[in-house]
Amino acid sequence: MPEKLMYDAIVVGAGPAGISAAIVLARGGLKVMLIERGRFAGAKNFFGGVLYTHALADVLPDYWDRKPPFERPVTEQGYWLMSPDGVVRIMHKSQHYQKEPADAYTALRSGFDSWFAQQAVSLGALLITKTTVVDAIRDEKGRVIGVRTDRPDGDIYAPIVIVSEGVNNLLTQKMGLMKADLPPRLIALSVKEYIGLPSKEIETRFNLSGAKEGLAIDIFGDATLGLPGTAFLYTDKQGISIGVGLLLEEFVQHRLKPYEVLARFKNHPVIKPYLAGGETLEYGAHLIPEFGYDRMPDLAADGVLVAGDAAGMVDALHREGTNLAMTAGRLAGETALAAHKQNDFSAGFLRAYRRDLESTFVLKDLKQYRRMTDFLDSTPHFMSTYVNYANEAALRYFSAHGLPKRDMEDNIVKMLFQRRSFFGVARDMLKLFQGMRG
Amino acid sequence: MHAIVAIKQVPDTSNVRINPETGTLIREGVPAIINPYDAHAVELAVRLKRKFGGKVTVITMGPPKASEALVECAEQGADRGILISDRKFSAADTLATSYVLARTIEALMAEEPVDLLLFGKQAIDGDTAQVGPGVATRLGLPLISYAVSVESFDPIARTGVVHRRTERGIEVLQTTLPALLTVEKEIAAIERAPLPDVIRAAQYTPEVWSASEPVAFDVTKIGIKGSPTIVGKAYTPPPKKAGAAVKVADKGVAPTVAEALAKIKIANVVKF
Repeated sequence: MPEKLMYDAIVVGAGPAGISAAIVLARGGLKVMLIERGRFAGAKNFFGGVLYTHALADVLPDYWDRKPPFERPVTEQGYWLMSPDGVVRIMHKSQHYQKEPADAYTALRSGFDSWFAQQAVSLGALLITKTTVVDAIRDEKGRVIGVRTDRPDGDIYAPIVIVSEGVNNLLTQKMGLMKADLPPRLIALSVKEYIGLPSKEIETRFNLSGAKEGLAIDIFGDATLGLPGTAFLYTDKQGISIGVGLLLEEFVQHRLKPYEVLARFKNHPVIKPYLAGGETLEYGAHLIPEFGYDRMPDLAADGVLVAGDAAGMVDALHREGTNLAMTAGRLAGETALAAHKQNDFSAGFLRAYRRDLESTFVLKDLKQYRRMTDFLDSTPHFMSTYVNYANEAALRYFSAHGLPKRDMEDNIVKMLFQRRSFFGVARDMLKLFQGMRG
Repeated sequence: MHAIVAIKQVPDTSNVRINPETGTLIREGVPAIINPYDAHAVELAVRLKRKFGGKVTVITMGPPKASEALVECAEQGADRGILISDRKFSAADTLATSYVLARTIEALMAEEPVDLLLFGKQAIDGDTAQVGPGVATRLGLPLISYAVSVESFDPIARTGVVHRRTERGIEVLQTTLPALLTVEKEIAAIERAPLPDVIRAAQYTPEVWSASEPVAFDVTKIGIKGSPTIVGKAYTPPPKKAGAAVKVADKGVAPTVAEALAKIKIANVVKF
């Protein structure tokens, strides 16, 4: 019988949440094991998107000197409201975005996560890859005292386990922290392609002045067939990340194949020229948890904390998730450090983590948008109605047909009420307001 | 028991594309793996170690990145990993590579006795199957290529019985030790490594040997200087066409056989 493997803390999953927790724990002098099921940290990830540096700086104040593998700073961003034949663009560009380090960068997670994990390793965390945690080990009182992995002699013991296993949160469910069998309306599926293009070509097409400029766009309307969901387009160094995300339920209900939705979006007359001549280098899909504030798992139990996607910490409306995960991971790490100081790993003590989170943007934002899903459920027409209306109104507004402006303006207003009754519009706006205000 | 396994880190060719203009592999962005046959050689060595005690040393010549492959061997249960890495080794063909590996093995044999040298039967990127036999020749050791199983192994009596695959069937060979085996995949199925080995590997840093330290290699025999091979042309072979089938049910036995024989005659693949 080999010696019992004892650590001060175990972190399950080397994503933004888990790595942040491991960094805090290792820096605090604890012996921490970070377990990842992929071949390397980031291997199981398919995110090409925007990383916000505020959360990274809180975890690693000297992150900039450690040369993170970002793609491009986000120097222009906004929304495209897409109709079947056009688009209304609401974009923002500012000198403020030019500072270095910038507030946000596009990044590819396979590269970023492995860099981030290396920082944890350099600070003393032990990273174990290709190893899956299959269950918790409990003592006679039911407290979690370690984890069981899928390897021979694979039991590991620690007084505290931080579960940051990602959206497919089987361990969280096994630990009884969340009801199993998530309904498909609480999970979104995002399909994405990474399309290779020479950097010069990207800069010409998106009007960027060099490698120190980049674009992040969220796209609504026809991109997702008018269904509640979003599409996105981000510029990377030598490629474009482009994808669409919809609730799983929408795919099922409308019998949509994810790759067909993406192919349709890529062939939209507005999008197609941007991708011309590019080569699809990667294609993949990932689930996104949209549990909502009221359906999150318990974040703490005896010997356990949960952080990141596993706990549903995603703000889909603002395409935020990694920053919530990093912040939650950091706070989980800090709570675990405090627990070690007090030598108290009870649920009662660990609940401090949830209280800390409630005072940050993580749970404040999730709480504020707790009714967003209900809003989308009750107004499924919202995207198509108003996005198409915006396009048609823009067409009227910007065309000159020898029509007096007053008549044109009346036309635009009339067009709206042909689509929705006055009370319908009023109700939609009220619901939107409630959805946004929580 | 001391086994030395020579491995190569290769691009995952199940994942590789060919540049149609130059005919060369596009290695960019392709994950690097341990040459699959070599991984089975490591597994055999580890199993023998578990049975007889002793140690497993893994060596590889390659760029600094190849160190990852040695760490993976440590996960599998190897005790020591040596990366032979120097810009002077680059562009080596099988002659230069076998020279470097043979000299390295000699140096290791001078440190402590070796019972077994293991190589994969070939690397999936070059497919030459020359390096293992080349090393055996340089070291004057018995060679058993295409080994599929080890029937017996006795490090005390210094003998072993090994089965090897040939075109005509399985040969059963007895050999003295040390011997050099190049192995097929069925030599040992790869088992999932125990967690304590994975933990040890995660903290293990393989040694790095250069062209001059600790072994001073003959600079005329390494890298491009030591590589007389010239690649005339590389191209993607056209896909094989499906063979013609002749159905007995349509015509009866005798006419079908006659037709088949006629086709074979036309194709001129068999001498009558």
